[in-house]
Amino acid sequence: MQAAPSPGWLIARQSASFVLRERTVALLSGMFVVLVLISAWLGWSATSTVNRIYLDAAAFLQKSGQPVPSNPVLDISPLSLLRNMSVYVALIGALSAIVIGNRLVGLDRKAGVLPLIGIRPLGRNAYAAGKIAALAGLILALGAVAGAVAVATFLVLPAITLTGLQWTQLAGFMAVTTLYMAIFGLIGLAAGAGARSETVGLLLPVTLWLTLTFILPQLTANLNPTAAINPISALAIPPDTSFFHWAAVVLGPVSLADAYKFASAGLLDYLPQGIASPSFIPPVMTLILATAVAAAFAWRALTRLSMTEGEYNV
Amino acid sequence: MSEPLIRLDRLTQSFDGVTAVDALSMDIEKGEIFGFLGHNGAGKTTTIQMLTTLARPASGTATVAGYDINKDPLEVRRRIGYVPENVRLYDTLTAAENLVFFARLSGVDAPARRVRQVLELLDCTYLADKRVGGFSKGMRQRVGLAQAILHDPAVLFLDEPTSGLDPMGIKMLRDLVMRLNTEFGMTIFMNTHLISEIAKTCTSIAVLSHGKLVFHDRIDAVTARYGDDAALEELYLSLTPVGRLAEVA
Repeated sequence: MQAAPSPGWLIARQSASFVLRERTVALLSGMFVVLVLISAWLGWSATSTVNRIYLDAAAFLQKSGQPVPSNPVLDISPLSLLRNMSVYVALIGALSAIVIGNRLVGLDRKAGVLPLIGIRPLGRNAYAAGKIAALAGLILALGAVAGAVAVATFLVLPAITLTGLQWTQLAGFMAVTTLYMAIFGLIGLAAGAGARSETVGLLLPVTLWLTLTFILPQLTANLNPTAAINPISALAIPPDTSFFHWAAVVLGPVSLADAYKFASAGLLDYLPQGIASPSFIPPVMTLILATAVAAAFAWRALTRLSMTEGEYNV
Repeated sequence: MSEPLIRLDRLTQSFDGVTAVDALSMDIEKGEIFGFLGHNGAGKTTTIQMLTTLARPASGTATVAGYDINKDPLEVRRRIGYVPENVRLYDTLTAAENLVFFARLSGVDAPARRVRQVLELLDCTYLADKRVGGFSKGMRQRVGLAQAILHDPAVLFLDEPTSGLDPMGIKMLRDLVMRLNTEFGMTIFMNTHLISEIAKTCTSIAVLSHGKLVFHDRIDAVTARYGDDAALEELYLSLTPVGRLAEVA
């Protein structure tokens, strides 16, 4: 006989299926997938063009008896052609995760069904676990789509073959990417459960995302004007002043976009020589710690969600 | 004598220093249709929220179907059904989809089959495949009642079930409640404002005023003592602040 699914699993399955029906979620997730495809296409296109020009030039040089230089495509790590993906993850990926997290609990609150869920034989912990599991499933799905696009890109490029280590680095990049989106999904979930109104529940994490993505990287790394429009600001040595020194010490551990930028650059082999994260905590560790803290906040907000007054005020 | 199905023992709740339910103690026997009367803000809904384990009491306790609401909330929830005053459901889902979800959460075997059975029982199979978003208050109340009885509970809590219903809706609901009580042996705990409904439906009543229990008796004893509906209304008013104001005037 088949065992009945646990209440937490039921909540997870139902929540994920509800959220997938939401137009906003579908739109943002779709945009994320399209941008990931564009980033892969840009990398593929650039590499193919250079490779084609090289092959024509090599044939010409060979015919005229001149020495043929090495293919420039092979001089740089092939992984670096995915560098645009980290920009799109920090922008649309994180925003999609916030909306997914927010809607996972927001749908129950908006519908006003919390009392009908609250009187079922499931504990508050099962409800919280179900919501977090639904978020994990949806974020993993987004990460898997990005990963599949990346793998497909490398498989169809003729001049590029990844080594075993590079495949491992790519897997690491996808794991870090998923972790980064999960942080924002958990923040969205926590705010969706904890905020009194639906508007605040969405504005709060979006404001936090704007701060982490656009403001902190400038304070901890550099004041390069492009940083204001590009969350993955130029990987450069910060000015040698006491302000940047202390900003890196104080804000470095919470500058998540910066941590993601350095972790991605390291894993995709495009981190310039001599440049390292200004924070004293290693980038990947920063992301792991941030996930744990965000998960703790989400758990607290979900387990404290009132089943009698959980409905939004506005 | 057997244990009462619901026993309240100095059940108390307060919000921001204001006592909403004040040391409420009473017993409700198995098979009763219990009418809980009281003015707005008397503490009726708060009492139901504590008995259904939606809210924890500030002090005191209660047992429902033999289980303590503080110690065994999950066991209590397995044995109760609850219809809130305003039944809220997932508007984008059909009635059947909503009910299957709640049936699964209640641990019902073969939820789709059970949903069909319950909708047939409540004579509303025509609602099954319609989206809840377009439902009238009466339709929602029916689906609300359906979700409450999917798992065949021992006790059914109804919070102002007739609020906002037209006379036809009120009669339909009354008939259903009576049927659930007589045919399926469910004990009914019903908050209401309608004294006429109490007289027609309930086997015992209690009156709550400012969180305190001011009256509790069997309905046959009350009608024997006070007579018809009008006398019952006078009794209720004399126990509530409105009635006391009238006396002062």
